[in-house]
Amino acid sequence: MQEERFKELEHTADIAILVRGETLAELFANAAYGMACQLTDVEGVPTSMEREIALHADDVEMLLVDWLSELLFLGEKENAVFHDFEMQHVGVKELRAVARGGRIKEHQAHIKAVTFSQMDLRQTGGVYETPIVFDV
Amino acid sequence: MAGKQDFQRLDTYTWELPKDHRGDMRVPVRLYADAELFDAAFGDRTVEQLINTSTLPGIVKYAMALPDMHQGYGFPIGGVAGIDAESGVISPGGVGYDINCGVRLLASNLDWEEIEPHRDDLMSALYESCPSGLGGDGRVRVSKRELDDLLSDGASWALNQGLARREDVEHTEERGSLSGADPSKVSQRAKERGLSQVGSLGSGNHFLELDVVQDVYDAEVADAFGLRKGQIVVQIHCGSRGFGHQVCDDYVKSLQGAVKKYDITLPNRQLVCAPIDSPEGQDYYGAMACAVNYAFVNRQVLAMGAREAFERILAGKVHDFNLRQIYDVAHNIAKFETHRVNGETKKLCIHRKGATRCFPPNHEGVPTAYRDVGQPVLVPGSMGTASYVLVGQEKAMELTFGSTCHGAGRTMSRTAARKKVWGHDLREELEDGGIAVRASSMKGLAEEAPLAYKDVSRVVESVDGLGIAKKVARLEPLGVMKG
Repeated sequence: MQEERFKELEHTADIAILVRGETLAELFANAAYGMACQLTDVEGVPTSMEREIALHADDVEMLLVDWLSELLFLGEKENAVFHDFEMQHVGVKELRAVARGGRIKEHQAHIKAVTFSQMDLRQTGGVYETPIVFDV
Repeated sequence: MAGKQDFQRLDTYTWELPKDHRGDMRVPVRLYADAELFDAAFGDRTVEQLINTSTLPGIVKYAMALPDMHQGYGFPIGGVAGIDAESGVISPGGVGYDINCGVRLLASNLDWEEIEPHRDDLMSALYESCPSGLGGDGRVRVSKRELDDLLSDGASWALNQGLARREDVEHTEERGSLSGADPSKVSQRAKERGLSQVGSLGSGNHFLELDVVQDVYDAEVADAFGLRKGQIVVQIHCGSRGFGHQVCDDYVKSLQGAVKKYDITLPNRQLVCAPIDSPEGQDYYGAMACAVNYAFVNRQVLAMGAREAFERILAGKVHDFNLRQIYDVAHNIAKFETHRVNGETKKLCIHRKGATRCFPPNHEGVPTAYRDVGQPVLVPGSMGTASYVLVGQEKAMELTFGSTCHGAGRTMSRTAARKKVWGHDLREELEDGGIAVRASSMKGLAEEAPLAYKDVSRVVESVDGLGIAKKVARLEPLGVMKG
């Protein structure tokens, strides 16, 4: 399941994943799920906590960084991890989504930030794809 | 993509890539390393990131990386750039997310024999007194108003609050307070994250260590620093926590607009920057300086926690439980300094990302007590291995804008380290080797396994051989506390 939605890439100091999606919405959801899997073992994490998220950005890469950063911030604040996503609308400059997750006892990793390093969101053969590097 | 063959070897430790290698380079690229560490630089994107750094407007002399270099984002880790303060840019990518991540060294007046019977109790007390781990609250919770004062004043705020001694402040880079800090340039979100984390270690590669001075290489300088063989010391390695991460995050995003506005061409978005004299550049500097001050206070409050633990466990049992501050240095910072460039004295914005300032003897930036010998440089090794105390040399002013290495430097990804090492096994191995371990996460412990790092001794030999910093003492760990 995890392997289908994202792939871990080697990075000397930080954490990097490769995410894909047939639509931007799918890529954004997979990216957020991939990030959640770095933070904890999401199996067994409830979906009792629900947050509505609406964001605007200047371009799609900034929107992706904003989306993941928002989830990190909300998670840090409530000691929670969000791993289930209902993407209501994802455009190039704006998104609306509902993120669901729950409190966790122990983080596996701490992600300081979502970076633009190596980010290159493009559509090839009908599939959107980009690497994402997290600063840890 | 530059290969080893594109570099010219200028001497044993200096390798240069000429400016004409890529059309957008403004200055040559220099790697300072021995042959083995030079080879290692080609194992990841370090060189590509340094070439990208060399394209920043206003960069002078060369974009350089020290022997502990490895891939980061934007700049490589171990990267240093001097940028003309009048015509150049300032880049959050040249400082990093953990603004003013750094190291503090405290010295006791105790020997191992005196402390040995109490080592385990002391490690447990340090673990209690110095909060660590993910998202954890710090020793001090401040109000919004207090936070603004802390951000403006740094260590002198701590002094006024009774959280520091005067000598702590004197023995801190910039006396623990970077001027130009402007709390009004910091987002509410960053402040929200900062309120509860003052005096917390955090996680990742951050640690608190109980060490013994194993070797002294330069008795005169060691004496001036107050170090001697057999002495027990404490190292604290951490930064500006969620506050600094948020400041960097905010400005990496907001300065994307400045790149367009000022028509700056960048090879990588993470190198985002703004002209130093622009409103956007000034705003970033004002906010970044707040995070620098936050980190100085963070380490200061942890130092008081370490003192409290020493007193709690050792009072009445040893002749002296005091911990005296030797020095505190930043590893991730941008600051204004004056340097000689092509025979001219210039004001530069020095970006050090995973690099340590190392001013030579007689430099006005060195505390009075050390002015005759030079600035102490603290180079922590990987967990369970040696750390070094060095002293800044004049040659650093000539070659590296008064900078040197900051640590061992990673060589293996966290994922790879986890595949090779189990946290529990590593803990046993360290404890078998006589090192007490306190860690909140076994996974985190595995990621920081010594095999994931370069050999710190090799890194230190390179900067000593190059002549930019000289070895003073080697520290061996007796107890490690990881977040």
